[in-house]
Amino acid sequence: MEKAKQILRSFFSGLCNKIASFFKGIPQKLRSKLAAAKEIITQGNGNVGASMCIMGLGQLLYRQWAKGTLYVLLQAAFIIYFVMRGGADFFGLFTLGQVKGDAWYGIKGDNSIIMMLMGILSVIMIIFYIAVYITNIKDVYRTQCAEDTLKRPPSFTSELKDLLDKKFYKTALVLPIIGVCVFSILPIVFMILIAFTNYGGDIVPPELVDWVGFENFGSILSLGQFASTFFRILGWNLLWAVLSTAINYFAGLALALLLNKKCVKGKAFWRAFPILAYAIPGFITLLGFKFMFSYGGPINFYIQEGGGKAIGFLAVNSKWAARFIGLGVNAWISIPSTMLLATGILSNINTDLYEAARVDGASAWKQFIKITLPYVVFATTPVLITQFINNFNNFGVFYFLRDSVRSEGYFLANNTDLLINWLYRMSIDNNYYSIGAAISLIIFIITSIISLVVYVLSPAYRQEETFR
Amino acid sequence: MKNIVAFAAVHVAAVLALIITFGTISVVRNNGITADTTNSQQTENEIFTGELERNITLRVLENNTAKERGYLKELLDAFNEEYAEYGIVAVDANIDQYNDLEQSGPFGYGPDVLYQANDAIMKYVDGHHILPLPTDKIDCREYVSENAWAAYTTIDSDRSYTFGVPVNVQQPLLFYRDDLLPENWEQEWDDDKNGVPDMIENWSDLYYYSRQVKEESGGARYGYMQSLCDSYFSLGYLLTYGAYVFGGEDGKDTYDIGIDNADSYKGARIIRQLSSVMNMECTQFTISDNRYSRLASGTYFATMTTPDVYTMFISEMIKAGYTEEYAREHVKMVDVPSLPVSGDLEDTSQGFMDMTVMGGVNAYAISSYTKYPNASLAFVNFATGYEMIKKRCEMLGISPARKDIVEELGGLDKTISDNLDSGSIYLMPSVRATTQIWSPLETFFSLIAGDILDNRNVYATDEQLRNGLSDVNKQIYDSIHTLAG
Amino acid sequence: MSSAKSAAAKAKTKRILNIVITYCILLIVAFIFFFPCLWLILASFSKSGSIYTFDGFFPTEYSVASFNQLFTDTVMYNYPKWFLNTLFIAVMSCILGTLLTILTAYVMSRFRFKSRKAMIKTTLVLGMFPSFMGTIAVYLLMTQFNLINQQWGLILIYSGTAPMGYLTQKGFFDTIPYSIDEAARIDGASNFTIFIKFILPLSKPILVFTALTSFAWPWSDFILPKMLLIDQDLYTVAVGLMSLDETQFSRFAAGSIIIAIPIIVLYFCLVKYMINGMSAGAVKE
Repeated sequence: MEKAKQILRSFFSGLCNKIASFFKGIPQKLRSKLAAAKEIITQGNGNVGASMCIMGLGQLLYRQWAKGTLYVLLQAAFIIYFVMRGGADFFGLFTLGQVKGDAWYGIKGDNSIIMMLMGILSVIMIIFYIAVYITNIKDVYRTQCAEDTLKRPPSFTSELKDLLDKKFYKTALVLPIIGVCVFSILPIVFMILIAFTNYGGDIVPPELVDWVGFENFGSILSLGQFASTFFRILGWNLLWAVLSTAINYFAGLALALLLNKKCVKGKAFWRAFPILAYAIPGFITLLGFKFMFSYGGPINFYIQEGGGKAIGFLAVNSKWAARFIGLGVNAWISIPSTMLLATGILSNINTDLYEAARVDGASAWKQFIKITLPYVVFATTPVLITQFINNFNNFGVFYFLRDSVRSEGYFLANNTDLLINWLYRMSIDNNYYSIGAAISLIIFIITSIISLVVYVLSPAYRQEETFR
Repeated sequence: MKNIVAFAAVHVAAVLALIITFGTISVVRNNGITADTTNSQQTENEIFTGELERNITLRVLENNTAKERGYLKELLDAFNEEYAEYGIVAVDANIDQYNDLEQSGPFGYGPDVLYQANDAIMKYVDGHHILPLPTDKIDCREYVSENAWAAYTTIDSDRSYTFGVPVNVQQPLLFYRDDLLPENWEQEWDDDKNGVPDMIENWSDLYYYSRQVKEESGGARYGYMQSLCDSYFSLGYLLTYGAYVFGGEDGKDTYDIGIDNADSYKGARIIRQLSSVMNMECTQFTISDNRYSRLASGTYFATMTTPDVYTMFISEMIKAGYTEEYAREHVKMVDVPSLPVSGDLEDTSQGFMDMTVMGGVNAYAISSYTKYPNASLAFVNFATGYEMIKKRCEMLGISPARKDIVEELGGLDKTISDNLDSGSIYLMPSVRATTQIWSPLETFFSLIAGDILDNRNVYATDEQLRNGLSDVNKQIYDSIHTLAG
Repeated sequence: MSSAKSAAAKAKTKRILNIVITYCILLIVAFIFFFPCLWLILASFSKSGSIYTFDGFFPTEYSVASFNQLFTDTVMYNYPKWFLNTLFIAVMSCILGTLLTILTAYVMSRFRFKSRKAMIKTTLVLGMFPSFMGTIAVYLLMTQFNLINQQWGLILIYSGTAPMGYLTQKGFFDTIPYSIDEAARIDGASNFTIFIKFILPLSKPILVFTALTSFAWPWSDFILPKMLLIDQDLYTVAVGLMSLDETQFSRFAAGSIIIAIPIIVLYFCLVKYMINGMSAGAVKE
């Protein structure tokens, strides 16, 4: 008991320290940035000024033709973008459109949702522009310093070479960062903003959408049945995430240990079966299992053949039966990958430890508890977090397993729905996009807090630097 | 040193000015545009000038059955031949039959002409995604019944708009195999001696017969089987006894939901009674999937579904070893049986009345995003002409909306047409909120269907059924209005 | 003497018992995992095509009609075309996605730059957002870029989002000793050369693992292609199979088996690499 308290206390104090040191670090960082800016302003010559006026001009004055032209072209591209649509897009983010479109009269109108999306894109572009502008100034100042110390400024080719060497990380990360910005960050920002609009229900384009502030969150909290459904689903969702993660994890580990036993011959053969399950696409498996457990399915066929009464595993009025089947099916799908993972990790364990333990006369069980388990758990904490999050947001299982029935006491949901299924019903099936977005924001906050805390405190993260 | 900062300031100011100028220009420019709707009287005639666009390709969305059985190909070939001189070519849009024009149309990925059901098509009206049609330029105007047109007409600021040209009427029908009838049915099961078995004339006898089949075979064979949880079919029982979906003059008032109206609990009672002659599969969609093969194997005697799946029964019969002629002769499709006035299958003392069923009218509509409205209209006129509709009837077995063909064909098509006229077909409400009624209804139907079979008996009394229905009503109301703000 | 003998006998029976139990459990496990797959295979060979004519788990009559149908009856359901579409999308996304992921992971593992920690945490947090909510945005974005109904649109999304899952790969690179880099640098190799000439050849397991996972995702994904591909001739197998009527279960099963085969074959051939890659990546994420 005392020990648990102590662990908890150190856990929270560790967390508090992290947060505190983060905020304490801010003024320091700002100060150093300001000093750097001040240095450029006070020390910079006319060429630096030229680059401040028009990107690339200073570089051209230094006769860095290739780089200068590149910056000038970038400058031109940005100006064209802002003239063509950037400016309009940016303003559109605030107005979300003023003209209702009407296809009958050929009025194109404003599509609020697209305006929002392109508005976010314009903000990203502006941020990108600022970043390019700053690097441009820094670059020309660096050239100035190089000249001042009577060294030739680095040639363009040597700078290009640098991009494959010291600054290789910049080259390598350009494409991934663009990809992640456009396909991950942009959609996420978009969904977050949607939570603050009235998009949904009858208000879909060509109707104009508007900002409503925190109204959606207000209605989530104030509507009685809404809040009760939310907490019911949240409770089950947490239970589901914990149970399914634990089941998949320990069963996968057990399976790996079993296959690792010395007495097992033909390991490749035995391992083939779980891998078979792993390879079949998930939606096929889920549809198969749904049929298997339905009233007309083979399981009920044998129950009735044996003189029993058909069981409604996934019927409207079943609750725990359906939930357990969900857990089982999810295990069937996920255990193989945990098994593969655990197999690999087990092969990395230092066998000397076991040797020593055997000399000491430790039983197989004791060896498992004292050596295997700590090692595996230590090694897989990050994977465990990912699995927990994936299970928390496991959309497929109940979407495919259960019909679109409702349960008593649940609003637009049934008793096996996870938050993400509820979200889907609300936003996709029933068009309530803004409420759906508000809920996904709440889910997001819950899951990210849990996992960030665990991740930051996990041994794997702490020891990253000491590892080398 | 000072001037360097000035350079930066100039730059920032210039960029800001750029964004603000072009941002404001866009805002101001947009303010100038207002929809000129005052002149809407002439909308249709402005769009449909009657002048055919030339050398173009029309994209047509048809349903899967038309495609599978080759009707679409015949239609397109015939049209393309007819309009070859104008260079108009109609092609299969090759997209999903349930494609949502609201999603695809505005971005230019939708079809020009689409064939869908009335609830789907009329959903597009609010956003003006489909064009109002000029009634005077529709060739089949006179031949299609008023009630079919009504499904595609809305009244807005004192004038009516028409959005689709009806092709066929859909309603659930009773499917059964007459070779499975008891041999002595003429003596035992034809009380009124009209030469038609009683079990396909009224639900009471179908119920008694099904009970007899189930008991005699010990549950190996069944009479009438149906996935009772399927709200589309089961809603009919409630509608017969006075329920309605949405109230108001045009049936679109979503604040007035009438699932529990009048004696609709009697309909629920009948569903509950019917479930007792089936098995638990009626609480899920299992029977909807297996009825084709089970009817073919003789396990089921009858079921209820829409006529467009007739050929599925035939092909299953062939797989089960019958010849096609035999199958076509013995798989019968008839109008739904009548229901006892008393609302109790075991009490026929008050006689019978016609059953109201949920149904629909399928039609062609023209997307607002088409560039060729006149050619599209020409296509619609061609496809709803006498020849093509006749061919459609022959190839797909649909019940036409055109009266002239109905008169010619007679029989079941005539019955369906009459049902539409007499109001026995309750058309799916064409408002977006309709999507909210299915899940609560499905849940309720599934629960009452399992009530006897699972010995729960939660809905044994009229009172319990009534409460259950008003719960459903409330659930639907909540799901429509709680979040709408 | 006899006690020692009996102890030895006891140990022996214990060992035998141990083996017997182990194999029993293995049999049960194999059955649990194999049976549903077997059932699917049997279903695809059902003659009637419907799953409701089965005797419990087993079809009453067998034939290859469903497979025939899959490749010959292509008016409505053009399976061969879908298959090729899926193959193209999966292969292209696999190549691009693997490249981007490996680059990201390598950089995150080997370089120390200012925004590195922030980037690690950001990607971790971003990965937690319920992803399908963003699909609406992705759809609208693609309409603006004119990439609806284009296979390249999908490839772009699959490979563009792939670097988000770089953590396992980063863990793998962390385990490659730094001394290799240092030795190479003394010889005057640039970071790029080190990556290409020294690191990549050592990274076969993680390359295989990454390639496999980034192949498998587009191969069996359903939500994105359903949304972005409108023309039925452009469908992928997953979307196409889901558009099949429920009554055609055999055809569905046959189609599923055919798309499962390449994945199974790949997994079996590469299982060694999978295990190494996965675990090495996990140890030090």
